[in-house]
Amino acid sequence: MRLLKDQQRVAKEHFDTTIFLEGIAGTGKTTAAIERVKQLIRSGVATDSILVLVPQAALAIPYREALRRSRVATGGDIHTATIGSLAYQMVDLFFPLIADDIGFENPLDRPHFLSLELVQYYMTRFVEPEIEAHDYFNSVTISRSRLYTQIVDNLNKAALVRFDPQTIAERLKSAWRGDVEQGYIYDDAQISANLFREMCVRNNMLDFSLQVTLFVEFLWKLEQPRRYLMQQYKHLIVDNIEEDTPATHDILRDWLPHCESALLIYDSESGYRRFLGADPVDAYQLKKLCQTHIKLTKHRVMSSDIQAFQSEMARSLNQPAPKSPKNSDAREAIVYADNRYHPQMIDWAAENIASLVHSEGVNPAEIVVLAPYLPDALRFALQTRLNEHSVPNRSHRPSRALREEPAARTLLTLAKIAHPQWNIPASKYDIAYALTASIAQFDLVRARLLVDIVYRNRQLHPFEQISNEKVQERITFDLGNRYEQLRQWVDAYIQDEPLPLDAFFSKLFGEILSQPSFGFHDRYEAANTAANLIDSARRFRQTVNKIEPHLDTSPEYVAMVDKGVIANLYIRDWQLEKRDSVLIAPAYTFLLSNQPVEYQFWLNVGSSGWAQRVNQPLTHPYVLSRQWTEGRRWEDADEVAVNQETLANLALGLIRRCRKKVYLGFSEFGEQGYEQRGTLLMAVHSMLRRLRREEEHV
Amino acid sequence: MNLPEDFVFSPSSLQDYVDCPRRFQLKYLQRQRWPAAEVDEMLEFEKRMEQGQRFHQLVHQHLLGIPADTLTKHISDESVRQWFETYLKNGLTDMPKTRFPERTLTIPLGKYALLAKFDVVAIGDKAIIIDWKTSRKIPRREWLAKKLQTIVYRYVLAKGGSHLNKGQTIEPEQIEMRYWYAEHDGATLSFTYDKEQFATHEANLLHLVDEIDSRPDFPLTEDMPRCRFCTYRSLCDRGTQAGSLVDWDTMDTDDVDLADFEIDIDQIAEIEF
Ligand code: SF4
Repeated sequence: MRLLKDQQRVAKEHFDTTIFLEGIAGTGKTTAAIERVKQLIRSGVATDSILVLVPQAALAIPYREALRRSRVATGGDIHTATIGSLAYQMVDLFFPLIADDIGFENPLDRPHFLSLELVQYYMTRFVEPEIEAHDYFNSVTISRSRLYTQIVDNLNKAALVRFDPQTIAERLKSAWRGDVEQGYIYDDAQISANLFREMCVRNNMLDFSLQVTLFVEFLWKLEQPRRYLMQQYKHLIVDNIEEDTPATHDILRDWLPHCESALLIYDSESGYRRFLGADPVDAYQLKKLCQTHIKLTKHRVMSSDIQAFQSEMARSLNQPAPKSPKNSDAREAIVYADNRYHPQMIDWAAENIASLVHSEGVNPAEIVVLAPYLPDALRFALQTRLNEHSVPNRSHRPSRALREEPAARTLLTLAKIAHPQWNIPASKYDIAYALTASIAQFDLVRARLLVDIVYRNRQLHPFEQISNEKVQERITFDLGNRYEQLRQWVDAYIQDEPLPLDAFFSKLFGEILSQPSFGFHDRYEAANTAANLIDSARRFRQTVNKIEPHLDTSPEYVAMVDKGVIANLYIRDWQLEKRDSVLIAPAYTFLLSNQPVEYQFWLNVGSSGWAQRVNQPLTHPYVLSRQWTEGRRWEDADEVAVNQETLANLALGLIRRCRKKVYLGFSEFGEQGYEQRGTLLMAVHSMLRRLRREEEHV
Repeated sequence: MNLPEDFVFSPSSLQDYVDCPRRFQLKYLQRQRWPAAEVDEMLEFEKRMEQGQRFHQLVHQHLLGIPADTLTKHISDESVRQWFETYLKNGLTDMPKTRFPERTLTIPLGKYALLAKFDVVAIGDKAIIIDWKTSRKIPRREWLAKKLQTIVYRYVLAKGGSHLNKGQTIEPEQIEMRYWYAEHDGATLSFTYDKEQFATHEANLLHLVDEIDSRPDFPLTEDMPRCRFCTYRSLCDRGTQAGSLVDWDTMDTDDVDLADFEIDIDQIAEIEF
């Protein structure tokens, strides 16, 4: 793409100064920034002295891909980071310098970095008993895992906004003017956060919030780590600063005067990660510290009809509306369907997508399907329909948790049988299911028949012990033979010293399940699932055993999986992303990937979810922000204003990331069968009515 | 063409190809995981990886200026402590003073890129690449000379190391690749370099990349014993049991690739929507 004049200034000038670049989405800020990186390298700057800093890892992908594709001769690697990854690397490297000063009980021990999974585990293990004993949160009706996420989220906000974590409840309560119950909830959240933090300090455990705190409040104040970063990275490219937090902004305040060049990129009218501590107002103040200011105003993504749609929607959402281009028509940019029932809307979307792909030759990667939330049922229904139409598709997350994948269930069930000392029973159904997955061509009917006979006293007995020959024949001797191989392997394992769970899984996978004529042989997806489960179990053992060397982590892991605490995430890091496929994602996930497409399908347009901030009963992103005035109260009017702003930013943000057309899918009755009349739908209706009136008037 | 346009080669991916084309295909082209055991004593193997990783980290920290006694206080593993003491004794012998720990260089290689991650590069009149080894055995020199790591590291530094040398090209004759063995009181095996080797290596590497990119299939290795230590053995129908760690120790082998063992930072930092 040819760069416009202002983009060229960003790309080719000011290599010895600091630039503040602003503009709404789609004006080519990131494109210009990528070009700047290339020019920097061409001008002789060492590649590894350039740091691309972003609020979340996915936002660095366009940089990495573009630079890899370009044939710029690089001498090193472009480094990309988030505040979280910087904090992790710095703490990992420089921990010995601060170990004595941070109040840890065992300063000479190594720190243990906690994954999200382990945070949930330790919450369940140590904080949950306290919550239950004292009946905390008895009026809150969200799942335990979301409850823990929010307790930790408060600690994260304290670290990222930089306030004392002991003041979480005080801050939240001072702004609250509703029933007293909410005050108790905030107190409970404070107590739980304190308990969790104390536990971390006792055991050298570092969750995200402590990593950030150690980096920002301790390491960054020491000369050596600060010099290390400043000397290594002399050229900064900081994208989406409006989605980043005050901790990052403060680091930049110190860093900017010392770097050789910097480009700070501010996306106006965004702030989608506010509920994670993003602070666009704080970000904008960095402008003062930059020597050159550039604003991009020309859209490089939207067609003129889409621009007209943006203007008309802005009017309907009571936002300042840019002028529509000449000869443009908002209605040409949208396709609107009024369905009565939810499944009809899904059919409508799938048919239109299929027609775009198969009849009009649109690349599936240029299509996204978005909804405010993406429950499993909707995702599954969409994927099924798209598969029926032979449209390649992908979802930002698979529809099942890792522990529910057949391969993972199989491994877990066989682990229970192979470790009778755990006393964790497996049901007959689970065992039959595991046999069908373990042995090729074994169907569930015959597996159940077999299990009914051979599984007694929590043990698998030999096939030859089946006295009824007819039954043996029905199961077949071939399957019986392979069952015997598996059974004997398990038997031999039981006689030996037990292995840690991950090692057991690996051995079972390698020696039996993935061998020819067994169920995982040639089944690449099953192997990937097994690998993910093994990673999860290994990380669990390695960290937990360092903290509690005497705990038998294997049954603990299995029990926690059964309880739904761990193995929920499915990280498909090794798998090839199906790049040329339709993306199905929650609207915010798409927005934050910051990659425009030609066609968008918005589903459930009538849902009130488009205009609601994320439900967080234990926390409050606005009150725990640096912009909150002490002593102020959060009023109903604030909530209304925020919801309006949320909807406008979301809808307009999506439109600005669309090149050609938006398909608006609506069903009178939502998934639950209720009538749908959300604010977005009202805005669309009012826009259409107004356009019709204006046309009649003309 | 077999390779995606943004493919980046590394010494270990090239070594995998040379050892077994099928392994290269599974691991880097199909990116297929196959989580069987590499050796029979998995825990001992894992412990060695952790020790190796910890030692590398200590040296990195030391080269960044953290005092040795501060670091020593934090070492709990006896082997690692001894290795670190050996390093303090002779690990930096005659190393030029400008040292770059844990540096990655990427250079173009034909249509693709080639990456080398150095433990340390020290630059002065000479340019010394050091690779810290914690393996039990020192391999034969001839074996090590043929390793892609020995070839690629020197080639990449000669080709793309100028920015570590104030913009001046590093001449092949300046370069030395030095393997340093912690378990053997800091014994070293060194490989010098010259223009002739550089030209030969360049031609060979380009030829290798061409071959990988254009070959119609990726056959299984004929060197069957290799399969004992390869996790894909069941997929290739090359046996059931992992090879023994005792055998591993007697062979010419390398340290385990620590890159396979790195923690996924995003796992720690990301917050779910
Ligand atoms: S098992 Fe043997 S043939 Fe198969 S990939 Fe590994 S080394 Fe190659």
